[in-house]
Amino acid sequence: MSEAKRLHPAAIIFRIITIARQSIFGLLPIILLASNDGFFSYLLFGGVFLLLLLIGYSILSWMRFTYRVEEDQLRIEQGVLIRKKRTISKHRIQSIDLSQNVIHRIFGLTKVQIETAGSDRTVDAALSAVTFVDGKLLHDELKQKTKVAETIEEETTTDSHPDKAYPSRKISFPKLFIAGSTSGSFGVILGLFAFALSEAESFIPDTIYQETTNWLISQAIQTIVILGLLVFIGIWLIGILGTVIKYGNFTITRYEEELYITRGLLEKKQTTIPLKRIQAVGIKESVIRQPLGFAAVFVEIAGGEVDKQEGTQTLLFPLMRRSKVQGFLQEIVPEYQDLPESFTALPKRALPYYLVRASWILLLAIIAVAIFLTEWVWIPIVLLVFSAILGVLRHQTNGFHLTDSLLTIQMRQFSKETIMLKHKRIQAFEKTQHIIHRKQELATMKGSILNNFFGRHYKLSDLEQKHVDQIADWYSLREKQGSD
Amino acid sequence: MRQSPNERIAEDAIKAWKLLAILMAIIPFLLTLTLFILAYIFTFSYWYGIGLLAITLAEGIITIFIIPKLRWRRWRYQIYDQEIYIQHGILIVNRTLVPMIRVQHVDTKQGPILKKYGLASLTISTAATTHEIPALLEDEAYALRDQISELARVEQDDV
Repeated sequence: MSEAKRLHPAAIIFRIITIARQSIFGLLPIILLASNDGFFSYLLFGGVFLLLLLIGYSILSWMRFTYRVEEDQLRIEQGVLIRKKRTISKHRIQSIDLSQNVIHRIFGLTKVQIETAGSDRTVDAALSAVTFVDGKLLHDELKQKTKVAETIEEETTTDSHPDKAYPSRKISFPKLFIAGSTSGSFGVILGLFAFALSEAESFIPDTIYQETTNWLISQAIQTIVILGLLVFIGIWLIGILGTVIKYGNFTITRYEEELYITRGLLEKKQTTIPLKRIQAVGIKESVIRQPLGFAAVFVEIAGGEVDKQEGTQTLLFPLMRRSKVQGFLQEIVPEYQDLPESFTALPKRALPYYLVRASWILLLAIIAVAIFLTEWVWIPIVLLVFSAILGVLRHQTNGFHLTDSLLTIQMRQFSKETIMLKHKRIQAFEKTQHIIHRKQELATMKGSILNNFFGRHYKLSDLEQKHVDQIADWYSLREKQGSD
Repeated sequence: MRQSPNERIAEDAIKAWKLLAILMAIIPFLLTLTLFILAYIFTFSYWYGIGLLAITLAEGIITIFIIPKLRWRRWRYQIYDQEIYIQHGILIVNRTLVPMIRVQHVDTKQGPILKKYGLASLTISTAATTHEIPALLEDEAYALRDQISELARVEQDDV
């Protein structure tokens, strides 16, 4: 593979789509403005011109984009007006992921995403479309060399194909279904639905709108309830469908140095997580899932892909029984298998702080509402009860557990999260006390870890001061050496 | 984390902070002045202006004469071979541990105010956090920066 290669022509389509998607928001106001003022022919002309320009540019940039593997390096040359040449050393490559969306799958293509360790996104490379065979070849070629360079023994194992010997987990369909039905996507879809409806209102002709409204009002209350229920179930099903498509065939495999995840029904995505970059392992039990005994497992990783939908956490497994998490960790990430069963709880005297923190805004709201809208005062009062319950729940949930190598924190905002932090992954440790804290011998701790580009700070409020000191002693390298 | 760190920051920090607070106090003072002028032009009661003036004065006295001293008294740090230990905060006391092996880089900084008093601030960055020791004697800050970067030059696992 030493000769320079072009991408598959389908890359032109992807390029067009990307640019069109990026510029549509900029152009939309102009289009709307022009179409209102009756400049339609100009608009059409301009549109066609832009489209031709776009297509021409995409074809040119496709022609100029070449890649080749040379010695230990991947070389990419690209650029229409400004020529760019990029060389990535194999040893610097952290992961190579192949992913396919619908168009890729029709043509038997794949996208190759190459990640390096840096947090600079522009350093990474992506080949938007190559044939699947080429992608695989590239993957093996770039990957194998790195492995051979690291350890020679591994060569045999990578050659005799990897899939069998390594522990692997796949999500079952019922679990996927539950994951979809308990995911919080309901609210989001409901929002989208409402938005679409309000937008559609302006497109539907007035007469039809009027008739429909009249018909709706004339119906019996039962029909309306049933209709409402249908809409509700429909939205729910869409949520499930979304999850099934996104996480269908979710499979995680543990290799020596990395975790490997494939997922997606329509769009197949691969993700490689080098173990070295895992900063923390966490378990999330959302409010709906916790009573049912389900949890999701995630990791915090340094750098790597930023998934906009999932934020900075990367899912290791979308849904499993909470009781099975221990076994899962043991198999897939044995480095984090010491999942504690009990946690050191907070002292009783911390409870007032939690209650105040959860409800002070509502207390203010009650005062404001009581003054200005006296008859509505029950709304914030009801909310106050809920927030007080939340405060109590948080107080009950929060806690920590300390072993030689792991600090495990359990905490709750709304969802219950359990996070396992390794000593060497904590970047800094902080103890905070205000005046009353000091009298009460309480303290707040904060451990900071690195995740995608920013730090993530895990904070546990109002612990026993002696417990915080204990964690600090565990964290402090100095104290430890003193006691040895 | 039971004991406070030993080292205090430079005593001139109080003067530097005072100067900064005086400069900052100009803004609310100007606002108060504006209110008086507006009261004169639109002929509404001067009491609003007087009220604001009282608040401005109280705020000025607190930020100029009280806070810098308290802040300085609380500010402590200590550099060990293995870690950096920092304490700060007036009502809410913060104590931070930063292991040397997690330190990514150290900077010294000097703005015009600090320069006037021959001071410099030291910023310690890890991959996830930054910590600042706000006012050290110039030479001390530079020496400390070199010392920390020397100590931090241990082989790191990664990240």
